[in-house]
Amino acid sequence: MKLNRPARNPHSETIIALIDVVFFLLVFFMLIGRMDATAPFDVRPATAVTGRDMPAGGITLAISATGDLALDGKEITRGALSPALSALLENDPELRLRINAHRAAELRNVLPLVAQGEALGFRNVVLVVTPETDG
Amino acid sequence: MMINRPARPRALISLVPMIDVMLILLVFFMVTSTYLNLDMIPAVKPSEGTAGSPQTPAGTLMIRLGADGVPVLRGTALDRETLRTTLSAAMAEEPLTQVVILPSGAAQTQALITVMDTAALAGVTRLRVLRLEAAP
Repeated sequence: MKLNRPARNPHSETIIALIDVVFFLLVFFMLIGRMDATAPFDVRPATAVTGRDMPAGGITLAISATGDLALDGKEITRGALSPALSALLENDPELRLRINAHRAAELRNVLPLVAQGEALGFRNVVLVVTPETDG
Repeated sequence: MMINRPARPRALISLVPMIDVMLILLVFFMVTSTYLNLDMIPAVKPSEGTAGSPQTPAGTLMIRLGADGVPVLRGTALDRETLRTTLSAAMAEEPLTQVVILPSGAAQTQALITVMDTAALAGVTRLRVLRLEAAP
C-alpha cells in the first residue's frame, strides 16, 4: 500500500536559518575587521606592551623588511614620497601618519622617514605595533 | 453596481536575492578586512616641536642600540629586565631624567620598539630617539 504524504513547503524554514547564519557572520566580520589598505608586501609590525589603541583615520606608510615602501597600500618610491605626503597634508593639516614598519626592517630605512614626516609638518606621527602580553 | 474582482494571490517576496546580496557582502568583508589588532606608539610627541620646555631634565641617560639589537648603557650591555630595573631606579631617584636612545642604523625596528617599551614600563616620560646622519 502506498501512503501519500502531504507535500511539505520545500524551503521556507531552512532558508530562514541560512539567512540568520549569514547575517550573523556578516555582522561578526564587519565588527572585528578593519578596512585598512594592505601593503603589497609582507609587513609584520613589532610587538610592544605599552602601545595604545590606534583610532581610525590617517594614512599608513608601510615599510617592508627590505625597505620597500607603500603609501596606503600602493607601492611608492622614496623620491615620490615627499610630494605625495605634502599633497595629503595640504588637504588635512592634522593628518596622522602611521608608520607600519616590518619588525625586521633596519632602522636606517625607518627613522629617516619619521624625520621626513616631521620635517614636512606632520604633528602626529606614530609607529604601528601589535600588542604583546606582559610576561 | 459593484464589481467584485477576484482576490489576487498574495505575492511571495523571494528571499533568494536577499541571501545573494548578504553572501556577496559577507565575502566582501571577509576578503577586504584585516584582522590584526594594531596599537601605536607616538614617534613624534606634540610637545617636542614647541620651543622651550616647562621642566628642565635633571640628567640624561644615553642608551646605545647596537646593530645586534642589544642596548648598551654606560658601556654595559643589558638585557631587557636589567635595563628596566636600571631605568626604574634612575627614575625613582630623579623623575625628570631624560632618556636618549642612539640606535645603530643596522638595528632592527623590533629592537628599538623593545627599548622604547622597556623605558615606558620603567616610567620614563622624557624619551628621545637620536639619529645620526652621514656628513655630506
